[in-house]
Amino acid sequence: MKGIRKNKDLSQKIIIIGTFILLLIFFAIMNPAYIRYDNIMTILLSTCVNGTLAIGVSFVIITSGIDISVGTVMTLSCVMSGTAFSVWGWPLWISILFGFCVGALCGAVNGFAVAKMYLPPFIATMAMQMIAKGLSLVISGIKPVYFTGAPNYQKIAIGEFLGIKGFYNAIIIFLIVAVIAHVIFSKTLIGRYDLAIGSNEEATRLSGIKVDSWKIGIYSLCGLFCGIAGLIMSSRLNSAQPQLGAGYELDAIAAAVIGGNSLTGGEGSIAGTVIGALIISSLTNGLRIMQVSSEIQSAIVGLVLALAVFIDQARRRKEAK
Amino acid sequence: MRKKLIAALLTLTLTAACIAGCGNNPSEAPADAPAEDSTAAPEAEADSDEPYIAMIALGFSHQFWQAVKQGAEQAAADYNVRISFEGPETETMVDKQVDMLKTALGNNPIAVCMAAIDTESVAGILQEAKGNGVKVVGFDAGVGEAEADAKCTTDSIAAGAIAAEHAAELLGGKGKVAVIGYSQTTIDSVQRNKGFIDKLKSDYPEIEIVDEQFGDGDHLKSAEIAKAMIQANPDLNLIFANNEGSCVGAYNGLKEANKLEDVMLIGFDSSAAMKEAIRNGEIAGAITQDPIGMGYKSIEAAVKLANGEEVEDFIDTGCYWYDASNMDDENIAPLLYD
Amino acid sequence: MSLAGITKEERGESMTEALIQMKHICKSFPGVKALNDVSFDLKAGEVHALVGENGAGKSTLMKVLTGVYQCDLGEIFLNGEKLEIRNVRDAQSKGIVMIHQELNLMNHLTAAENIFIGREYRKGMKLFLDKQKQNRKAADIFKEMNLEIDPDVKVGDLSVAKQQMVEIAKALSYESKVLIMDEPTASLTENEIEDLFSIIRMLKEKGHAIIYISHRLEELAAITDRVTVMRDGTYVGTSNTHEVTTDEIIKMMVGREIFVTKQGEFQHKEAPVTLEVRHLHAGKMVRDVSFTARKGEILGFAGLVGAGRTETARAIFGADPHESGEIFVNGREVKIHSPSDAIRSGIAYLSEDRKQYGLVLGLDVDINIALPNMEKYHKNGFIQFAKSEKNSTEQTELLTIKTPSIKQKVKLLSGGNQQKVVLAKWLTKNSDILIFDEPTRGIDVGAKNEIYKLMNQLAEEGKTILVISSELPEIIRTCHRVIVMYEGRITGEVSGAEINQDAIMNYAAKKA
Repeated sequence: MKGIRKNKDLSQKIIIIGTFILLLIFFAIMNPAYIRYDNIMTILLSTCVNGTLAIGVSFVIITSGIDISVGTVMTLSCVMSGTAFSVWGWPLWISILFGFCVGALCGAVNGFAVAKMYLPPFIATMAMQMIAKGLSLVISGIKPVYFTGAPNYQKIAIGEFLGIKGFYNAIIIFLIVAVIAHVIFSKTLIGRYDLAIGSNEEATRLSGIKVDSWKIGIYSLCGLFCGIAGLIMSSRLNSAQPQLGAGYELDAIAAAVIGGNSLTGGEGSIAGTVIGALIISSLTNGLRIMQVSSEIQSAIVGLVLALAVFIDQARRRKEAK
Repeated sequence: MRKKLIAALLTLTLTAACIAGCGNNPSEAPADAPAEDSTAAPEAEADSDEPYIAMIALGFSHQFWQAVKQGAEQAAADYNVRISFEGPETETMVDKQVDMLKTALGNNPIAVCMAAIDTESVAGILQEAKGNGVKVVGFDAGVGEAEADAKCTTDSIAAGAIAAEHAAELLGGKGKVAVIGYSQTTIDSVQRNKGFIDKLKSDYPEIEIVDEQFGDGDHLKSAEIAKAMIQANPDLNLIFANNEGSCVGAYNGLKEANKLEDVMLIGFDSSAAMKEAIRNGEIAGAITQDPIGMGYKSIEAAVKLANGEEVEDFIDTGCYWYDASNMDDENIAPLLYD
Repeated sequence: MSLAGITKEERGESMTEALIQMKHICKSFPGVKALNDVSFDLKAGEVHALVGENGAGKSTLMKVLTGVYQCDLGEIFLNGEKLEIRNVRDAQSKGIVMIHQELNLMNHLTAAENIFIGREYRKGMKLFLDKQKQNRKAADIFKEMNLEIDPDVKVGDLSVAKQQMVEIAKALSYESKVLIMDEPTASLTENEIEDLFSIIRMLKEKGHAIIYISHRLEELAAITDRVTVMRDGTYVGTSNTHEVTTDEIIKMMVGREIFVTKQGEFQHKEAPVTLEVRHLHAGKMVRDVSFTARKGEILGFAGLVGAGRTETARAIFGADPHESGEIFVNGREVKIHSPSDAIRSGIAYLSEDRKQYGLVLGLDVDINIALPNMEKYHKNGFIQFAKSEKNSTEQTELLTIKTPSIKQKVKLLSGGNQQKVVLAKWLTKNSDILIFDEPTRGIDVGAKNEIYKLMNQLAEEGKTILVISSELPEIIRTCHRVIVMYEGRITGEVSGAEINQDAIMNYAAKKA
């Protein structure tokens, strides 16, 4: 009996990883350039921003919530850290931490609106999406914020790790973020209560757990990850672009869902999310290398999303029987 | 008690932000777009001595539009008119732009200057406005031919062709070229690419166009596209990126892939990042339009039309090639913005 | 009396008049033989009880009859004609309808809309709904059933009993001959049960046949004609209801003599008061409730559904807010604003609705037991898995929770074992005051007794136990003292030998 259940968990992971590998093989056959070392690094690098956002939003999705403000909160946090550094003259590392704090604070406000004001998560975070976007534009004066005083700012993301050619720091940052997120999810109280709230919020509350506070914590955590994504993003572009960010939440949610996180909550994993994000970026990269036109790319990613959720639902229904 | 107070305050902020974010009625002074707000939000009823001209752009959050606005404000001061300047949050929100137009017309302007996202969806409204004596000037993307009393814009096909000639010169008439566009639907983007590609095809048979993709003007997306392009075509010689976002994105992509020396880059428009990269030769050069002139000439044409004067149907606001060698010239430098 | 003996002859005789015959039904699921050569027959105009412990195969058999499952072997006859039932629609068209324990109604639709869902009356080239006609038809059915239900009322606004009537009306609207009722009285009050019974009798007179599934064996004599017992997927026997006693049925169900909780006099009148509630007001349903409970005492709360017992428990536990009143635990006043306040004071609440409020069904046994106890099992926020697993394993053994592993998802356990998991989490918490709300709802007979045994044992160990139950026999058998409530107020109290049905019902049915 124990074996059977383990197999089920395993089978889901195998489906995701299998999809990923099939994808790699397919594109490699279509164009061998796809699996060249530097292209693999390109794919990994392009996973970093979306992957970090997806990890953040996974925590929220597992509580059966949603956060559609991740994109613009990411933008706001890097605009704030850029402003702190370039305009207010703060030291770089403090500015970066400040950016993280801004992200976490936005998350906390989301959490407060959801847990204490009983706004539906979609509405609360939609409000935050707009607020963050507006603030980014106001604070930056609708101009990119440059980190001119820090010539090595771009190195944070695209410097080469330990001098290994083509191995960007951002990948390491993302890896560390993913491992930390995995540990938080599987080894700490946050992860435990995250699952419990998502499975049955009322039963969790009646077990004496301060669900409200934990929710605020979880949304803040999501905001923190947005801040980290903002660092990677602004470092790659060597600037904080205030008009970017809207639309990034869709890719992040898609990655989380493809990775097996149920939008109804109570189920999911960080490893799944990471693979989901990898699937999206390798798919987009592969289609671009195959020179598939942009509009068809979008349709194909949509199809993969629908297919992933369909397979997951089918598996779930089977398990229910 | 304290908790309740905080809750109330937050509710207020969120509510305010929601309302501000959803409605983009200029008379409501949108809180999420105060940048457009400095000149927008004309209180038509309050102060209507000066004639009023409404200017509606494709967007507002890009520096290009800020430059257009700057030119328009200059003209407004010179000709003693009051203007409003606004645009939707993204350059795809057709419905929002239509609403903006309707609202603006409600404030009795003498003329409307418009860059329509979709010319068809505003045609009817503009025809009706014309019937009421409102003059219509298209700028940048413009409006439909039947509606426009005049059009002030960069000739995008010509601009693309100029880029193509410089590309050919840089390549010595031979090589592989790829194009990164910002939109496959906006007319400017389409025409820039068309001008560029057609010119190369007709005049430079030895130059091959290997790929054309679109990255929504998103820096990150454009960077990924550039990297995928050089992966698929290792012998690529040059990339043409048709707006600022595409260009800076492509620049970052090439930088990450360590290919800045192998692949040349030609851009469009300008920004601080682009200017710096052009100055040190990492970007070969770019086409700049004259957004300030575009803004100025649009208002000028609108005022003249309203006064019953004749203006040309098509007012080319011009475009210029700039690179490290000429970017500080006095006729170019003012056209480059941060 | 040998039931099996009677049955064979009777079954032979009933062949001719049987409405439904299921013969030699076998059904296997991977690894489980759910039904093994089960035969069952139903006559027109009879109420036939189907009893057995959970897992005995009752629902599987009924799912075969209603087309949810297809049997591997065996045949089904209707009026002597062989039936092919491939899906629920087939069964419906033959007039076989099941009324589930969890009602399948849409709360936001009206009674009439629920009855005719999927078969709406339409007008105007079938483009528009004909609400009038639909309501008229629904009213006709209600009239036939002697019911006063407005067809236009939203089902969510009806009581559970009325909702059930709507389900029955829906079944009748299909012109069904065979009605299967799964635990129809589980959430009804005594009066409502009487109403239901009169409707069942009416249906019987009109020639409908009813299969009646229930855990409440006391009811069978009142309403059923015959009873069939199943155990472990096999057929045990069928008998005329008036010829067997409840004890005999139980014996057939469990296959052994069962432990019957003896109700003893509470010996410790001088035991210290552990919980005292003074003038508690919470909403409409809790009005000026005051009582005390002592160490080692099992205190029952009786009353009709809606008497405010659950609301009282929830208010004490902090699940719902209360306006005024004082709560003392071990003589000290405690302020309870949330469940965590109550838990800190040693109060635990085992909800009447385990699945919704007691358990996180999608997670495993270990996580559920550990959930309120995480402060014991973490160090700087990192979970100490070994500690929590050790405790969960111990609790599983102590309470004899039948689960293949502590990593089993709780939703896969039986009701009795789920209840034990809830108990385990509060015992781990070391709660001294345990409030059991309908502790054996949906739990089969064997497991019920285990729960009673545990309650006794815990009381002997010095815990204070509050039991809320709508099943009077349960209260009478387990409690030392019983408080009776009516419309949010305490109307009476009985203890020791005075605890009997009449005394309790007397207080439960009228204001103080």
